[in-house]
Amino acid sequence: MEIAAKYPTERLKCWGKAKEIRKKYYEDYMNAHDSGGLRMVGGAWSFSAIPSGLGDDIFSLTGEPYGANISFNKDFSIKCLEAAEKHGYARTLCAYMRNYWGSILLDKYCLTDGTIVDGFPKPDFIWQDHICCSHAKWYQVVSELEGGIPQFCIDVSVGPYNELNENRLNYVVSQMNDGIEWLQKVTGRDYDDDKLIEAVNNECRSTSLWAEICVLNKAVPAPLDEKTIYALYVLGTILKHSKVVADFYEEVRDEVKDRVNRGIAAVPNESIRVMTDTQPPWGFLKIFRYLEKFGGISVGSLYTFALIGAWEDKEDGTWGPRTTPQQQGIEIKTREQALRILADWNLSKPEWQHFYSHEYKSEMMLRIAREWKLDGVLLHYNRGCEGLTLGIAENRLAIQKAGIPVLAFEGNMGDEREFDEIRTTRQIDTFMENLRKR
Amino acid sequence: MIKVVLLDDRKTVAKSNILSGFDQNASVESALNTAMQQIGIIKSEITNIAATGVARKVIYLQPPINANIETAEVLADIKGAIDIHPSARVVIDVGAEEGKAVRCDEKGKVIDFVSNERCAAGAGVFIEAMSRALEIDVQDFGALALQSQKTIPMNSQCTVFAESEVISLLHSNITKEDIARSVNDAIAGRVASMTRRIGLENDLVLVGGMAKNVGYVDAMKRTLQTDVIVLPEPEFIGAYGAALTAAEYQQK
Amino acid sequence: MPSKVQSPRSHKYLHGEYQTFKKSVEEWTGKTINDEDLNRGIDILNKNRRLLKKIYELRRSDKPPITGLEAMEIVVSSQFVDKREHTKLLSETLKELEEYTPDKETGVRLMKIGSEDDDRDFLKMVESLGATFVTDDHCTGSRYFWNETKNGDDQLAAIATRYIERPACPSKDWPERTRIPHILDLAKQYNVQGVILAQQKFCDPHELDFPSIAKSLKEQDIPSMQLEFDVTVPAGQFQTRVEAFLEMIREEELF
Repeated sequence: MEIAAKYPTERLKCWGKAKEIRKKYYEDYMNAHDSGGLRMVGGAWSFSAIPSGLGDDIFSLTGEPYGANISFNKDFSIKCLEAAEKHGYARTLCAYMRNYWGSILLDKYCLTDGTIVDGFPKPDFIWQDHICCSHAKWYQVVSELEGGIPQFCIDVSVGPYNELNENRLNYVVSQMNDGIEWLQKVTGRDYDDDKLIEAVNNECRSTSLWAEICVLNKAVPAPLDEKTIYALYVLGTILKHSKVVADFYEEVRDEVKDRVNRGIAAVPNESIRVMTDTQPPWGFLKIFRYLEKFGGISVGSLYTFALIGAWEDKEDGTWGPRTTPQQQGIEIKTREQALRILADWNLSKPEWQHFYSHEYKSEMMLRIAREWKLDGVLLHYNRGCEGLTLGIAENRLAIQKAGIPVLAFEGNMGDEREFDEIRTTRQIDTFMENLRKR
Repeated sequence: MIKVVLLDDRKTVAKSNILSGFDQNASVESALNTAMQQIGIIKSEITNIAATGVARKVIYLQPPINANIETAEVLADIKGAIDIHPSARVVIDVGAEEGKAVRCDEKGKVIDFVSNERCAAGAGVFIEAMSRALEIDVQDFGALALQSQKTIPMNSQCTVFAESEVISLLHSNITKEDIARSVNDAIAGRVASMTRRIGLENDLVLVGGMAKNVGYVDAMKRTLQTDVIVLPEPEFIGAYGAALTAAEYQQK
Repeated sequence: MPSKVQSPRSHKYLHGEYQTFKKSVEEWTGKTINDEDLNRGIDILNKNRRLLKKIYELRRSDKPPITGLEAMEIVVSSQFVDKREHTKLLSETLKELEEYTPDKETGVRLMKIGSEDDDRDFLKMVESLGATFVTDDHCTGSRYFWNETKNGDDQLAAIATRYIERPACPSKDWPERTRIPHILDLAKQYNVQGVILAQQKFCDPHELDFPSIAKSLKEQDIPSMQLEFDVTVPAGQFQTRVEAFLEMIREEELF
C-alpha cells in the first residue's frame, strides 16, 4: 500500500551548516578553558542573552538539548539513566534531567556524533530560570554532584502573557538586574551593556525568523518535515542570542522560501498532513520516516513552532512572526530597556502559556491545525516531561471535538524503556489507514 | 487463537478457530484447510484473502497464504459488528492477550480507538491465570461468578500478584463464587476505564473471546451502568469484518 | 505565589499580587475588606496555627499524648473545617491532652517526611508495630501551620512575609536547601530515632529532595527508609519493610 511520489524533492542545502554549528557548540563548551573562556550551564529558556554581557568567550551547555543529545544515543542514555536511579532519583522525574545527571555521575561527555569522551567538563557557573518544578532543582543537584557551583536562577512564574502587568514584569526584570550583579561578582568580570543589547537584538531577530520559517510550512507541499525541523530548531534552543544563529536562520528562511516558490516538497508523496506534540521520543525519530510510507508528513508542532519562535497575530488574522524592536525602529540604548524587552519577549513565548491553562494550548493547536491545513494530529503522551504534557488529555478532547482525528501514543522523550516501538507502529498503521479512508 | 471465516456472496459458509503454534504460518494454513474442508473447496477458489490481527504481516503477501489485503483489527471489528448489528457505535473486543475498543458514527466511520496490549490484567490471560488459582475450568468461570452477590475489591494491579492474592482470599474462606466475581469485576473495571477514553455511546457491543464469559458481561453491564449487546460467536467478529473487506475488494 | 522565595524581590511581587487579589475578592463578593477585617482574619488563622503547634509540642515528651495518626487527623481536618470551629475543638482537646498520659508504649520515635499525607491505614499499621510518629515535615502536616503572620502596619505585606518565610515546599527551596537544617532541627527537638521518607509517586519536587535529605540524615546518624506511595499501596510489603526497619533501629539502640 505504498503511495506514489507526486512532488519534486531536494535535500536541504543548509543542513550541513546546521550540523556544523551544533557540533562546534558542544566542542566549544568542552574546550572553553583553553582560551581563557568560561563555562556556563542552564536551560534553553534561561535568558542566555544576559551572560553575553560578560564577553564573547562565555560558552554554554544547555540542559534540555544536551539531554536530548544523550537520549538520541540510546546505549549511553540507558547507562546515564541507571546511574541517576542508582543515586536515588525516581524514574518519574524529567528524563532530560536524569540523562544529564547520569552524564556527570559517569563523568563522561557526549558529543553530537555520538562519541563519548572521558570527563564531564565542569561548569563555572549556573545561569537558569525556573519554568517548571524541576528546573531550578535540576541544577541544585548538578551543583551538589560537582561539589558546589555558583547558581543563579530567575523565577518566571508570573502568569500568562495576556495578564502581564507592571508588578509581574518588574519581578522578572529586577531579578535580571540582581543576576547581572551576581554574574560580575562570581566571574570577576565587568559587564558590558552593549554586548547585552546586541544579544537581545539577535535573540529577537532569530526567534522572529524562526516563526517566519515555520509559517512557510503552511505551503502544500510542505518544504520541511518535522524530523528535519528538529535539526534546525535545536540551534535556537542553544544559541538564540548569537549572531551566528540569527544570520543562519535568515539563510534558512531564504532557502525555504525558495523551495516554496518552486514547489519543492520535503516528502515527495505528501498526502496526509499531521502535526505532533511535545518532544518526540528522541531515540525513535524513525517513526517520522515511517509516516512517509503512508504519504504522511508531520509539518511541525506547537513545540517546534513556539518553543523558540516569537509569534503574534498578523493583520490578516493569521499567526505569524512577531515584529522585532528593530523592525519597529526601536533602538535599545540602556541596560534597563534591554532587560525589559528581553523579559517581555520571552514571557510572550507561546509554548509558555499553556502552563497556565490547557485551553490556551488547545486554542493554539487548533489554530495550527487550521492554518497549516492538517488532516490529523499525533500526540506524544510524553512521560519524560510533565511540563509540556500538562493538559494534553484535554487537548486531545478539544481537537477531537473540532472534528480532527487524534492518535495518542505513550512514550518518553529521554527514556527508551518507556517507548514501545512495535505497539506505536501498529497504532500508526491503524490511524493512517483510517485517515486514508476519510 | 487463529480464526478463519469464509464468505460466499457475503454469507458465512465456513469457519475455523485453532490455537496458534510456534510456526504461525503453518498454524494459519492448518486453520484455513480446516475451513476449506468444511465446504470442500481448494485455495485457488478463494478470490481474496484479508489478513488482520497481531501477526497479519506474517501472511500478508507472504507464502503460502499470500493474503492480498491487510486491515487493522479495530477497523475489522467495526465492520463486522455493524454488519450484524447496525446500531453498534462502540465495539469492545477483549481476546486472550489484548483488549481494544473502537467507536464509530452512524455511517460506520471510525471516530477513535484505544487498545491495551501491554497489561495482562486487562485481557483473557488474566481469567486463565485466576481459573488455575481457583482450580476450575476456564469455561465455567463466568457461570460461577454469576452465583455470587458481592464483590471483594482486589488490590493487585498485576496478574502475577493477583494470583497470590486469590490464594490468600481462599485461605480467608472467601468463596470461589465471590472471588470469581471479583476477578471479573477487576477486569471489567480495566476494560471499561480504557473504553471511557473514547467515549461511551449506545449501542455498546462486546466481541472477542472474553465476551463468552457471562460473568464478565454481567460485570461490564454493572461497571458501565448500561446494557451491552453480545454478538453471537463473538470471537469471530474480527475475522468476519476482515472477510467483508475482502468481499468488497472483489466488487471494486 | 513566587517560587523564588529566597530572592529579596519575591516579597514585593507577592505583595502586589495580594493587592490585586484583594480587589478581585471584593468585586466578586460585593463587599469591601478593610484593615479591621484583615486583622480579624489574621487573628483567626494565627490562633489555629498556635494551638496546632502547641499540640505538636506536647509530642516532644517521652510519652507523647497523641499518636501520629491522631495528629494527622487533627491537622488535616483543620484544612476542611471553618477555622473558628476547629480552634474551639483544639482548645478543648489541648486541655484534655495536658492531663492525659497514654497507655500505649511510645516505642520507636519516628518522623515522617513527604508531600501530602492522608493515608490513615499506613500510619495505623506502623504505629501498631511498636512505634509512634512524634513529628513530621509534610505539606499537609507541620509545614501547613508552622509559622504565624506577624504584626505589621501593612497587613497584606505581613501575610506575604508569612508565606515567603514558611518552611519551604521543595519546589520553592532553591538555590539553598533550607529544608535540611529545618528537618534536622525537628529531628533533634522531637528526639527522633528514625525517619520514613514517604515518596508520593509523581510529586517531582519531593522526589528531587529525598536523596539529599537521606544523605543529611545519614550524616547525623539518623536511620531513614524510603517508601513509594501511589493511589494503591502494597500494604503487606510495606509492613514487612517497616518491621525490618524498626528491628534495625531497636538493635542499634542496644549498642
